[in-house]
Formats: sequence, C-alpha cells, structure tokens
Amino acid sequence: MSSATTDRQSSGLGFVGQRVKRVEDERFLVGEGKFIADLNHEGMLHAAFARSPFAHAKINSIDVAAASRLPGVVKVFTGAELNAVTNPFIPFFTVGGLYTPLYSCMSDDRVRHIGDPVALVVAESRYIAEDALELIEVDYEDLEAIGSIDAALKPGRTQLWEKADGNVLGEFTDTFGDVDEAFNQADRVITKTFDCPRQSNQPMETRGIAVVVDPTTGHLDIHSTSQAPHFKKWAIAAMLVKDSTAASLAKFARNSERRSAFLAAAKDFVAANKEKMAQQDNSGMVSQLKKDPSTMLHQLRMGAGLLAADDYPTVMAADIGGAFGSKGPVAREDVAVAAAASELGRSVQWIEDRVENLLDGGQAREERFTMSVAVDNDGMLKGLRVDAVLDQGAYTGFPVAPALIALLWKVYFPGPYNLDAFEITSKIVTTNKGRVVPYRGPWANETWARERMLDLVAAELGLTPVEIRSRNVMREGVSMPDAFITGPTIDETMSVAKTFDRALEMIDFDQLKRDKADAEGRGHRLGLGIASYHEAAPGPPNFFSSVQPGTDLFVYEDGRAEIGTDGTIRMFTSQSPHGQSHQTTYKQVAADEFGVKMEDVEIVWGDTDRTQFSFLGTGGSRGGPMGGGVMRMTARELRQQVEKVAADMLEASVDDIDIIDGNIHVAGVPSRGISYADVAGKVAADRNITDEPAFMEAMKYEGVGNGGWSVATHVAWVDIDLETGEVEIPRYLVVEDCGPIINPGVVDGQVRGGVAQGIGAVFYERTHYDDNANLMSTTYMDYLVPTAMEIPNIEIEHMETLTEGENDARGTGEGGMIGAPAALTNAVSDALGVQVTEQYLPPYRLLELAGVIEPEK
Amino acid sequence: MSQPSVSAAPGETIAVNLQVNGTSHSLEVDPRRSLADVIREDVGLTGTHLGCEHGVCGACTVLADGEPSRACLMLAVQADGVEITTIEGLATDAGMHPVQQAMHDAMSFQCAFCSPGFLMSTVALLRDNPEPTEAEIREELSGNLCRCTGYQSIVDGVETAVQLMGGKSS
Repeated sequence: MSSATTDRQSSGLGFVGQRVKRVEDERFLVGEGKFIADLNHEGMLHAAFARSPFAHAKINSIDVAAASRLPGVVKVFTGAELNAVTNPFIPFFTVGGLYTPLYSCMSDDRVRHIGDPVALVVAESRYIAEDALELIEVDYEDLEAIGSIDAALKPGRTQLWEKADGNVLGEFTDTFGDVDEAFNQADRVITKTFDCPRQSNQPMETRGIAVVVDPTTGHLDIHSTSQAPHFKKWAIAAMLVKDSTAASLAKFARNSERRSAFLAAAKDFVAANKEKMAQQDNSGMVSQLKKDPSTMLHQLRMGAGLLAADDYPTVMAADIGGAFGSKGPVAREDVAVAAAASELGRSVQWIEDRVENLLDGGQAREERFTMSVAVDNDGMLKGLRVDAVLDQGAYTGFPVAPALIALLWKVYFPGPYNLDAFEITSKIVTTNKGRVVPYRGPWANETWARERMLDLVAAELGLTPVEIRSRNVMREGVSMPDAFITGPTIDETMSVAKTFDRALEMIDFDQLKRDKADAEGRGHRLGLGIASYHEAAPGPPNFFSSVQPGTDLFVYEDGRAEIGTDGTIRMFTSQSPHGQSHQTTYKQVAADEFGVKMEDVEIVWGDTDRTQFSFLGTGGSRGGPMGGGVMRMTARELRQQVEKVAADMLEASVDDIDIIDGNIHVAGVPSRGISYADVAGKVAADRNITDEPAFMEAMKYEGVGNGGWSVATHVAWVDIDLETGEVEIPRYLVVEDCGPIINPGVVDGQVRGGVAQGIGAVFYERTHYDDNANLMSTTYMDYLVPTAMEIPNIEIEHMETLTEGENDARGTGEGGMIGAPAALTNAVSDALGVQVTEQYLPPYRLLELAGVIEPEK
Repeated sequence: MSQPSVSAAPGETIAVNLQVNGTSHSLEVDPRRSLADVIREDVGLTGTHLGCEHGVCGACTVLADGEPSRACLMLAVQADGVEITTIEGLATDAGMHPVQQAMHDAMSFQCAFCSPGFLMSTVALLRDNPEPTEAEIREELSGNLCRCTGYQSIVDGVETAVQLMGGKSS
C-alpha cells in the first residue's frame, strides 16, 4: 500500500481517533446515494435557462412566443416576468466605503456576463425545455465589456452599474500599528505585485434545485444542493414576498399569535446578544444607502413579509456531490426556479449542466496584490503594506460577498510572523464575468502572496527561504505574542513553528542538491518550496469580531440530541455534509459519549424542519470543531440525564453508573445492566408519552477555550522538463496540526483533496476570459481538472497540539488548498531561478519563465 | 456494438431491448436520448451519475458488453441488445463486489459522486490486468475525474482490490 495513512489512535479508547471506515459508503458504493438528480418526484417539470451569449449588452426585446408554442412546454417566463414577482438580492455583508449593486434573479434590460439568465423555460422534460431555448429570440445591443482588473480600474470605461464610481465598487483601508514608523526605520523596502487569475470550484456534481409544490396549501418543499439550507430557506422566503410593507405589517398586527411569538423570540435574542449587537459595524450600510437608498425599502418589504408569513419553504439537502464553497450561496437560479414553481403551482426542477457550471456555477480568486515589505538587512520583518484588488465579476455573491474575503485578508495577511505594523487597502472591482463565490479557504491568496514574497525578500537579502522564516516565525516561549497585530488572540495552538521545524527535519537538503544536479543532467530543473499558514478553525472567540465587529452573531453552532421512547439515539446537526464524512465522524463522537456502538446512533441533517437554524451550514472548516463540538456536548448532557434515571432504576448512585456497548450498569456489575430502551421506556411510561422523545437536549455552541488555530507547513518538490514544460511533483509533504484527530482517514482525505486543488490551480486550471470578457473555458476540454496522472501521492505528518479544552478538534477542510499554491510556486521559483509573481503556471508559461521560449505579446 | 439501424421521424420512438445488470428491459425511446438518461429515468437505476455530459469526467461510465463506456455519449438506441452493467450490478446477495469492498476499506471516496465511474473502470481494469502497477492504475483511471480526494485513496482502493481478488499486494 502506498498510503501514508497510519491507523493511529489519537485519544481515548473508543471510536474517536480511530480510522473508522465510512458509513456513507454503505449507500454510495452500491449506487444508492440520493443526489438531487436522483430524487424522481412525481409530476416534476423541468426547467432550462436561456442565457446571454454576450458579455455586456442591452436587451432591446425578447420574444418567447415560438418557444411557448412548442408541444410539451408548460410556460416560458421572461426575465421581466420573474423579476416582477421576486425581490432583489440586497447586500448581506457590507463594509464602510463599499457599494453593492442590487440585482434580480433574472436579467431583463441588460446582461452583464456570458451566461446571464434572460428567460426560463418550464417543460415536461429537459430535452423539450432545451429545444425551446433555441426558439427564444432576443435582440441584444452589444456594449463594451470589461474583461480584466486593469480595464476595471481604468476611469472612463463603460460602467456595469450606473450608481457606482466607474467599475470600482469600493475601497477600504485598515491600519495596525505605526506603519510609517516601521517603514522609515527599516533598512529597506521591497515592493512586488502578484497576480492570481480566475479559478473555479468545480465539484463533480453540478448545482440543482427541485421545488415541490403542495397543490392544496401552496407550501414549497425545496430540495437543494445547499451547504446552508437554513439560510436558503429564509432568503427564498424573503425574495418571494409579494405584499407591500404596509400590507405585511397590517397582516402581522392582526395575527396575535404570530406577533407574541415573534416579540418573545426577539426579546430572547436581544437579551442573549446585546453586547454583540451593540458592537455591530453599520458603516457599510451607511455607504450603501448613500449610493442606493432603495436598499432600505427592499429590506423593509422583505422583513415585513417574513414577519407576516405563516408558511416558509422547507429546504432539504440530501446527498451532495461536492461543493468547495460553491453551493453555500443562494443563487439567482434558486430564486427563479422557486418563483416559477410558485407561480405555476406545479413542481419544477433545474439540474445545472456542466457548461452552465463553468459559466456561473462559482468562480474565485482573481486577485492582485502589491506588497511592500519593510525589512532589516538581517531579515527581520518590520512592516507590511498591501494594496489588494479583487475582481468580483458582475453580480455580488450572496450572502458571503467578496467584501468578506477582503475582511479576512485584513486579519490573516501577516501570517504566523511577527510584524510591528501592517496596512491593507482593498478594492473590489466589477467586470463582465461570472459570480465570485467562496472557494476552499476563500482568503487563501494572502498565504500565496505572503509566502511568495518572503522567498523574494530572502533572495534580495541573500538569505534562504528557511532562514527568513526561521527568524520571523512566532515561536512559543520565544516570540509568541498574546494576540495578532490584527486582533485575534493567540494561544498554544498557533504551532506553526513546530510544523515548520518538523518539516525541515523531514527534508534532506544534501539529497536535494544531488537531485537538482541530476535533473539538470536530464534537461530538467528541480526545486523545493516551503509555505506555512494558520487558519481560524474555529479560531479564538474574538476572531470574527476582529474580522468585522458583530459578525460573531452568526457563527455559533446549534445542535440537538434526542432519545426516542424505544431508546433510539438521534443527533440533529445543522451542518450540510457534501463529502466530509460527517455521518461517520459524528457517530464516532456520539457513540463514545453515550457508550454505545456507532450503529446505535442516527445522524439527522439537511432538513430545515428537523434541524436548528444555522447561517453558515457547512463551511469554514467548522464541521469538526463546531459541528462535532455540539454533537459531543449535547450527547454528554443527555447521557447525564439518562444516568440519573438509570441510577434510580438500578438503585445506585449516579457516580457509579457505567455504560459499555449500550449496557447501562453499576460499575463492576455488567450482568445486571439495563438498556437505553429500558430507561427510555421507563421515562415514557412515567410521563405517559408516545410521540415525543424520552430525552432531549438542544444547545447553542460557541466553541471552547481561547485557541482553535489549525496550522500547517507545506513542502513541494517540483521537476520541470525544459523541453515540454511538463511538471512532475516527485514529493509533496504536509506537516499539519489540527489538534486531536477524530478520524485520520477522513483528515488525510481532506488534506490531500485540498492539495490536489492547489496543484490544479497552479499548473492546470484557469477560468479564462479574453479581454472582451468572452469565456474561453466552457468545457472540461478547456478547464482542466487534474487527473490521477497529475496528482502525486501526498505525504502527511500529523502533529497534535493539545489544550485544556474539552472539545479540542480543529478544522482541516480548507488547509490543503491554502498552503499548496504557495509551496508550489515557491518550488517553481527555486527550480527556474526566477521569482514567480503569478499563480497560474501552465507548460508554456514555465518555458517562458525558463527562457526556453519567447514570452507572448 | 450495434448502430441504430432504423430512422425515426421527429417525435417517433424506437423500440429497444436493454439488458441491464442481467435484466431485460423492452422500452420505447426517443432516439436522441442518451443511454445514461434512459438507465436513470426509464430503468430507474440512478447510481450512474452525470457529471459533465460531454464525455470527460467519466462519472457515467458503465460496462457495455464488458467495455467501459460513457453512458452520456452513447444513445440508448445504440445499446439495443448490448449487455450493460452499472454500479447497481456489482454487489450480490453475498455482499459487496471486491472492488466495492476494497474502496470501502481504503476510504477511497468523499462525496462519492464520481464513484460509479471509478468502480466500473476499476472492474474492467482488473479483469484485463489483474496485477497492475501503480503507474498503470493511474493511467487507466485518468479517464475519470475526482475533485475531492487527490486520487491517492482511490489508487489505494484499487491496490486493495488486487489483494482481495487474489492478486499480489503491491
């Protein structure tokens, strides 16, 4: 076996820490998974979108008559028809200095990117719906398109959004420490610009939504490939509100039951969150309203509509075929399909195809960073200035907007290194491109730019990449501050230096010299790159308030545990798994807490009627620490309730109760034990209940302790063939510390999958728009997802820094992708002896950098 | 593999006989429908997945008369009389197929949307080459895309399957 997995047991004697095989496999590996396209609802109609072939154009007219007449077509909605019955997307994340253009679920008078939806066909089959698309006539009038960051920054070009200042939607600056002083005092200042082109998440399953309409009540059951079903439920409910604000408020006023329920809930919420609410930063909303006061009117109308509504959609997420961030947002298509089903009173589904997914299923990371580093000649870093630009495309992602990515840069950019001062200015620009969504470590380019810059600074100072990192990395007991200069608290889990030191031990530098010489002999070049990072997964309690005061209102994790009257243990999570093996790992955690077998625990997820609200759902590497944490804590609490009843039944003290393999007994007397069913049955009989759980515990979990950093050092070896530009990765090493591991098989998979996406980003994948914003990569023949031939075996070394916390697991979902582009581009720079300043390095570019071929243009 | 031998006017259907996992299905199909759509919708076996519908990702791979084939690029009418094996046809009453068991043991997949294609490709690979090298495995599976795993666990799964099926360990 070539696997680097070890069957290690990290902690305890139960399931946690073991490489337990996945329970999900029992359905997936025999073809019995239930993905969105597999659900086969009775009487379902099929939707297809007519999309713009122009990057930027006015719509003069649209004619859907011929399409509507096609047999099998139920209805063709124009953009204007659906926009008339829906509310627009209004900004969810705002920052002072930013304007976010409002937009509707469809485009009716203007299109702003290739693939912009202009009409929706609903038909008896997808084949017929797609036939009808061919019959829709749209008269477009071409406009100048903005196809690059440079074009967007240029004044005087055609504007995408009338109310914006040019195509820059906002600019905001944050300063930490005395930056001028740091730059004046330092021996020198080194400045460089780094560019990352557009990439795409590309899960193997595309997006999809199936809206099932109850013909009598009109209730919508929305099946969705959603990482965050609860947010989608509220967003769709809000966007389908039709009544005016006044009408909704009048309705609400008449409904005394709803009124008192709402007021009680609001009172509880305010009481629980008074402090956080007071800290909320409203400067973003002020900037927004200055540009577009209608934002408030839409907000009031949707808010009032939600207050008045008696019925909200139910959103359900079954098995999901990957997402990597792209299925977190609420998309325009979600709202359009829900509105179409609601208008028709009939069930409608839309399954995105791959071309659509490449057009607008989620794009990311087209960013530019100009970094200035103030540094002394001995390599000690003093100050950092960053000018960052993010190309958000045409329509602002919702709810997680690109502004949040910039806010995360603000907190993360200095990395695990000590600095006296830091300043960052971020610009958000709009171009005629697809929507930017979160992609596995949405802020990850700060690590890429910083780690690349460190090598560049080292080279300029005559130091090695190892030396500059060794001198500046935060080291426990030596140079570890109590908090980052950008705010968040630091504790012993900030163990980057430990992973860095271990990585160095695992590199044979003498062998590297020999390998380099050998490569040169073969007409190749070999190089090594190192990169380190830290991630708040989940981060200290003040992490999100450092990102933006008040955002921590949204980042707790709810969970619930129940024991039925028959003794069945059910754990309810608000996470929405899409490949992370939640079902397996949560069973491990709960089974250990209850003292039962894994098969005795049922995990319930994905149904908003059965699980508690969660803004984020699954995202942010929180499934282990936060989702797993609330499973552990609710199970622990419930076990105590069970032990109390069992102690009475066994006529013993609670302290003497032991539970092994589901046998609840007095310690040392297992033969006289009782079962969970016995205890639950007793409670049911005493309380005379049948249809409610015998035991129930719900909890709002905010994490424990002061730490929660997940860290790693990546080391990449690359071998470049100077004849073909082909790259091989003879070795790739990850030394990571995510604390005690719940399931090493799962963690290894997450790390490797992330690194694979990083390899794809650097050498193969590019969402390629030309200067006129025409998309050149609309199939998998153009957008190159790496195969088993391109991804090497990845060596993983686990380190486990433990804290006093009861739930010490840290997240690991995003890290692989955060570290890999930096380590790989550093390795390429080392191999070729040039300082690479771009992230995308396909064979032709490597040959240009190596001087083998002349650069284009 | 048979070519469609009859032509059909728009709206007309053609009778086909599909042999799927040993069961015969006599169906009237619109001649333009893909084999994948007919397997999923008419036969009702949804284990075969559609990832790209243009023949690159390989998630829809089935065995057609034993040969790994893209069910998204093949028309149902081309499969008239062809023996089709899908992921649902691998396990028996005795349990999982050794390739399925091995992929489970190796924790090969995450979201597993791509798994039907990898499983079918692997079954064909090990039939033709019971003891492949790692390089051969990687090359043979390079027609299937996985976005979650970085492939190492899938390669491990194939190597585990070699052992379970009586070949040498690598």
